[in-house]
Amino acid sequence: MILSGWESVFFWVFSIAAILAGLLTVMARNAVHSALFLISSLVSVAALFILLGAEFIAGVQILVYVGGVMVLFLFVIMLVNVGAEEEGRAAIFNRPPQVIAALVFLALLAGVLVIYVIPKGARALQEPGKQQQAAKAREASEQKLQTGATGVSRLTKETERVGTSLYTYAALPFEIASVLLLVAIIGSVMLARTLKQEIAADDVDPDVLKTSASEGESVES
Amino acid sequence: MNHLSPFFALLFQDGRASTALESIKHPDLSKFLVIAAILFIIGVAGVLTRRNIIVIFMSIELILNAANLNFIAFSRYLQDTGGANPLSGQVFTVFIIVVAAAEAAIGLGIVIALYRNRETIWVDEIDIMKW
Repeated sequence: MILSGWESVFFWVFSIAAILAGLLTVMARNAVHSALFLISSLVSVAALFILLGAEFIAGVQILVYVGGVMVLFLFVIMLVNVGAEEEGRAAIFNRPPQVIAALVFLALLAGVLVIYVIPKGARALQEPGKQQQAAKAREASEQKLQTGATGVSRLTKETERVGTSLYTYAALPFEIASVLLLVAIIGSVMLARTLKQEIAADDVDPDVLKTSASEGESVES
Repeated sequence: MNHLSPFFALLFQDGRASTALESIKHPDLSKFLVIAAILFIIGVAGVLTRRNIIVIFMSIELILNAANLNFIAFSRYLQDTGGANPLSGQVFTVFIIVVAAAEAAIGLGIVIALYRNRETIWVDEIDIMKW
């Protein structure tokens, strides 16, 4: 896999954007800003997916992460009160010794990974002749693809192949994933109910009802 | 980009200047792995250093996304070198996205319940199970 020309320019632009936005996600004081920086990081990574030829995954990333999960995050940020952090009255990081210890070990990990492990592994994987050949074959097969309605772009078979792979090699995990999502829906609804809603559903322990009533909390709906 | 080569010649005394420039002009698999590793490290740093539990969840999303980038990069590598079932990386990524969505839903439900009961989202104040 060797990118060239404009592909490499886009690679550097989007990877630097992803890393900067990721850093700002972790460092932003306001949680809403964090969420927006995370969205831009996810979009940059989606652009890298397109560079790698995974258009379907890029679309899923935009739709599910940016359109679904991040909206959920923004709702929850709006529901909880983080005013103290935003106005600078509360620290946003843990105590300094914890932060320093974490950063030292992470810097070690990053250094070993980036300087030693990945280059060594990549050198072991390199098969220059084979890669050039594969790139040429890919180029040729892309030229043979049908052109789209505009006549400019070409229609790839990528999504079709991912779908075939998903339903042949991973049919059972696919079904299990749907059950997992069902469990997640029901679980989050159960977790986020208020006491009043639990009483309305007649789904609360009588002891809990007694103690909350004796504490003077109004539980009548 | 050729006008940058004196800079790389300074940076690498021996004959590695041209290879460094070449690797910048033609990024390969290892560059994607480096980007993914850096994103992963940033995410772990967020989990370990922030006090706000919502930002910790966002850092976890960053970590999962770095893993996705690794999977997609290796999927492309296997497509180019003719590995067996090269699209399994993309299939795995779909499942990681599913699990991330489920995890975010459950986690944020817990955060809502916690905030309702304890009036705090600082992880250093949520220590009810600490002995």
